[in-house]
Parts: sequence; structure tokens; C-alpha cells
Amino acid sequence: MKGTRTSLSQIDTIIGSLLMILALVASSFIVIIAAFITIRGILPFITDNSGLGSVNVLQFLTNTVWLRGTTFLSTAYGAGFIIINTLYIAFLTVLLSFPIGVLTALFIAKVAPRPIAATMRTIIELLASIPSIVFGLVGVGLFLPVIYNIARAMGYSSGGGSSVIATVFVLSLMSIPTITAVAEVSIRQVDESLEQASLALGASPTQTRFKITLLAAKSGIFSGAILAVGRSLGEATAVALVSGNARSGPSFGLFETTATITSTLLQGLKETNGIDYDIRFSLGILLMVVILTTNLALNFIKRKVGNVHG
Amino acid sequence: MKKIVLLFSMILMLTLAACSAPVEEEPGFEAEKINVYTRDTSSGTRDGFMRGIGFADASANDSVLVAGFITADNNAIMSAMATDLSGVGYVSLSSVNNTIKALKFEGVVANEANVLNDTYKLKRPFVFMRRVDGDYVNDTEYQLTMAFIAYVASNDGADVIANAGATATSGTGTWASQVANFPVCALDNSAVTLKFGGSDSVQKIAEALSAAFSPACGNVKTENDHTGSSDGYKRSQGGEKDGVNYKHIGYSSRFFRDEELSGPEGTRSQLAWDAIVAIVHKDNPVDDLTGEQLTKIFKGEYTLWGDVITD
Repeated sequence: MKGTRTSLSQIDTIIGSLLMILALVASSFIVIIAAFITIRGILPFITDNSGLGSVNVLQFLTNTVWLRGTTFLSTAYGAGFIIINTLYIAFLTVLLSFPIGVLTALFIAKVAPRPIAATMRTIIELLASIPSIVFGLVGVGLFLPVIYNIARAMGYSSGGGSSVIATVFVLSLMSIPTITAVAEVSIRQVDESLEQASLALGASPTQTRFKITLLAAKSGIFSGAILAVGRSLGEATAVALVSGNARSGPSFGLFETTATITSTLLQGLKETNGIDYDIRFSLGILLMVVILTTNLALNFIKRKVGNVHG
Repeated sequence: MKKIVLLFSMILMLTLAACSAPVEEEPGFEAEKINVYTRDTSSGTRDGFMRGIGFADASANDSVLVAGFITADNNAIMSAMATDLSGVGYVSLSSVNNTIKALKFEGVVANEANVLNDTYKLKRPFVFMRRVDGDYVNDTEYQLTMAFIAYVASNDGADVIANAGATATSGTGTWASQVANFPVCALDNSAVTLKFGGSDSVQKIAEALSAAFSPACGNVKTENDHTGSSDGYKRSQGGEKDGVNYKHIGYSSRFFRDEELSGPEGTRSQLAWDAIVAIVHKDNPVDDLTGEQLTKIFKGEYTLWGDVITD
């Protein structure tokens, strides 16, 4: 009996350490990736790029033109406008997709009859798993001509529809399922006694849903928004297809062409080399910093906003 | 009362007629802003286009282009021109189809015949040179090189070139009818490696030719290492011809320069033209642009289609 217990606890130890090793391997990749991108990305700033001179960090962070001068012969790169564009687009995307996503979640969780709710849930999960390139193609085939014609009717000449608004639409399509899926779970987890108390006090179901349910679930809903921001900051392929890949900016007009960090990184990646290739790793550092800062800021706000349950 | 109405409507019609008389076709198109589409700076098509229109500065430099231009790849430019009434872009001749309007360049229609008879000028040549006689390690390599050159000129070679998107300059009959002239191709050549290099713009075509030639000539091994047009001469006949990077065939995406013509003329040949076409929306009334007009458009000196139409 005693022997069995010892061997059982030995197995526990072995399994425990095995799991720890796997966890370490998995999590060490973040270090490897971050280190790799950082080391490659810093090269253009500290080496002389085989005689071209190093890239000026300050100019890189503030310039409003991607590259002044000839590719492979110039190091006057600037990504200032791209950072602003990226944040602007992420902001607009959340502005558009957050209300739609959350209200859809409220409908699925509280309003819809059971069979409809189940179907909708499946559809949302399907949407969330569609690869981004598909959304990009839908954007090119469907949105661009429509946006181009709307812009024309309003007297603007957009570049074939490639614009800020096309990018925001495509990114919103991609973020809505994420927001809905996360928000729906947290809305369903709201303590039913809270809602019943509200109803008992004479509030209508609609008042209860908006003032009690959504408020009680706001922490989870906010997590959905954070994921959506992450998705819109990090999406490359779909954005590259519909943004127009502007080389200068920033672009605030809805019908102007634009570019994000990821779409600029992707453009010509497979065809270029030398400094023009290495600088894309510097963009990678920028992207990591932007995503990290945004996430930290949003998490800070989330803590401030807090949870009704405390 | 009726008379007054009639009078009014007649006056109205007359004014309308008077108004519409001086306006040319497509009223209002002159006021359209030109949307400029371009490939990104690493594209060979862009290099060929910008050099072809006489705006070589822009071949790898975005900052000399008009503000607000749109960077897109080949397909994106094609689909944008199907939508964007006021856009202008450029693609390889092989991409042109009926969803867009291909512009004449300096009055000449872009088609295969005009490319081959050299009247259509917006294009660049794909040429190659081989090592000079007596500069081969052994006779097999010499025979294989000669066989490759014959293959490139054959109909089979022309098909490969056309499939890779360029316009072949010759088609001397099928390879099957000529292979007998090259007894070396009947042997097993899998131990021999032919080395190709030079222009990276030609790389896609060169690799396709290598891949097609190998099974057609005793499974000879091929190695494509493309580093730029200047290396085409250097590594086959020039200073590096006996170095580690020596090549049997060196490609170039421009005609060989005077200082590269040291070898006999028979060692050089053209395999194809890469024709580039300026394209616009089908409803664009413009049919024809000169290199100067295209340069002004891409520079931003012409920003409205009216600038081109009244030019």
C-alpha cells in the first residue's frame, strides 16, 4: 500500500515537472521572438548599413514620409505618420465594432429565443475563425467599389475605394465576432439575482438589460474590446489589400488612403533586401511597443472602471 | 397661356443646346483628379516603367512621386482600374485584359506585334550572353550551353517565356525537331551543372527556362543565381568570369553597355521583351499618353485629367 502511494506521488512529480517544462518552452517563445525582432530591428539604427549611414531614431519616430530618397540608397525612413494612422484606425474600428458587437452579444445572451441564440452563437464562432485574408478579399471585391461610388457621389475622388473607411470596415468585420463572443460569455455569467432584484424594483426588462446586466458584465465586455484592439493593430494582410498603402501621411480623412505598421511591414517584404528589409524589423519593434502600450493602457482603464462585484 | 409655355420650353431647349455645344465628350471629366497607382520600389515592372517613360529617378524613390499615390501589387492595380474612373496605373503587357483600358504609348498600341517590330517603346529588353568559345571547362559544358541557347530560341522556349509573362523574340520551330542537332542532349548529363546569373528581373523567366530545359536535355543540373544586370557580363565574360561565381549564361534586363561588348557578337542574344502598359478605367476618354505626359502625371505636375486632355 505504501509502495503504491510512493510511486503515485513519483508520477505526480514527473507529470508536474513535465508540464512545467512544456509551459517554459511555450512561454520562452515570447522571449525568443521579442529578442530576435529587437536585435534585427535595432541594426539599422546602430550600423552604418554598408556605407549608407545609420537611420536616425528621432526622425524614424516622427517623420511623415516613409522614405525620402531612393530605396537601397537612402536611410531617411520615417514611421511617425504610420504610428498615428495605426492608432487612429484601431480607434475608429473599436468605435464602430464595439457597440455592434456588445449589442449583438446582449441579444444572443438575453433577448433571443433559445434556438435562435444557439444558431447565432455558432455563426459568430464561425465568423471569428475565418482567416483574415478572406475578410481582405471581401473588402476588395465588395467594399472598395461601393466605397468608391459613395465617395464619388459625395464629390470625393478616392483611390479606387482604398481608404481609411474601407480599412475600418474590414477590421470591424473581423473584430465584431471577437467582441461578441467574449461579451456574450460575460453577460451570461451575470448573477441572475441582480437582474431579478432590478425587475422586482419595477424596472422594465430593457432598463434592466442596459443598466444592470451590461454594467455588471462590463469587465468582461472590456476584455472583448481589448482583444478587438489587438486584432486591429496586428492585422496585416487584409489591411494591405484595402488601405492603399500610403507612403506619407497621417491620413485622417475617411476617403484618404492610409497605411498601418503591419501593412507597411508587409509591402514588398518578399522582394526586397538590405536596409529596406532590415527596417521592417524596426517596424516590428514599433508594433510590439504600440501593442504593449495600448494593452497596458486599456488594462489600466479596465481596472479603473472596475467591476460592480468589486 | 399655351403659347407662353411653348415659348419658354423653346428658349430652354435652345439654351440647353447652346450650353452643350462647346462641351466636348465626357463633360466634367477634365475636372477629375488623377489617382496615381504604382508598384512598390522593389518591383522590376516599376523600374521598367519609370525608365521607359523617362522618369528614372522614380524607379526606386517614392518621395519624388505625386503626393497621395497608391501602392498596390499587379492584381490590385488591375482591379482598381476596373473601379476607379480617374485612376492610372501600369502592368505588364501579359496582364492586360478587357476589364481595363490599355493606353497607347506615344501613339502606338501595346500588342505583341508592335513590341516585336520595335514601334512600341515602353518596354525593356531581356538579353543574355554566354562564355566565349574556349572558356569552358570541358566540351560537354560548351555543347550544353549551345543547346540551351537553341532551346531558348525554339518554340518550346518561347512558350516558357510567354507563360512567365514576357514577349519572346524568336520561335525557330519545336525543340523536338532540333534536338538531333545536339547529340549531347541524348546523353545522361545529370552530373553536369549549368550556371545562370545576372539580372534579377529576368529571374522568373530564367528559372522557368532552366526548369524546362533540364528534362529536355539529359537532365542537366541548373543553378540560377541572380544578382543584377551588371553581373550578367562580369560573371560570364568580364572580370569575375573565372571566379567562384562564374556563370555559363549571364542575363541582363537592359541592352549590354559598350564596355560590356568585349566578346564576339555571336555570344550575345535577346530572348524577350518585357512590355509595360499604362492602364486606365474603360470609361476614361484618354486613349494615348506620351512618356512626358506620364512623367508629369507621376511627378504630380498634372493633377487633373483636364491637364492631359487639353495638353
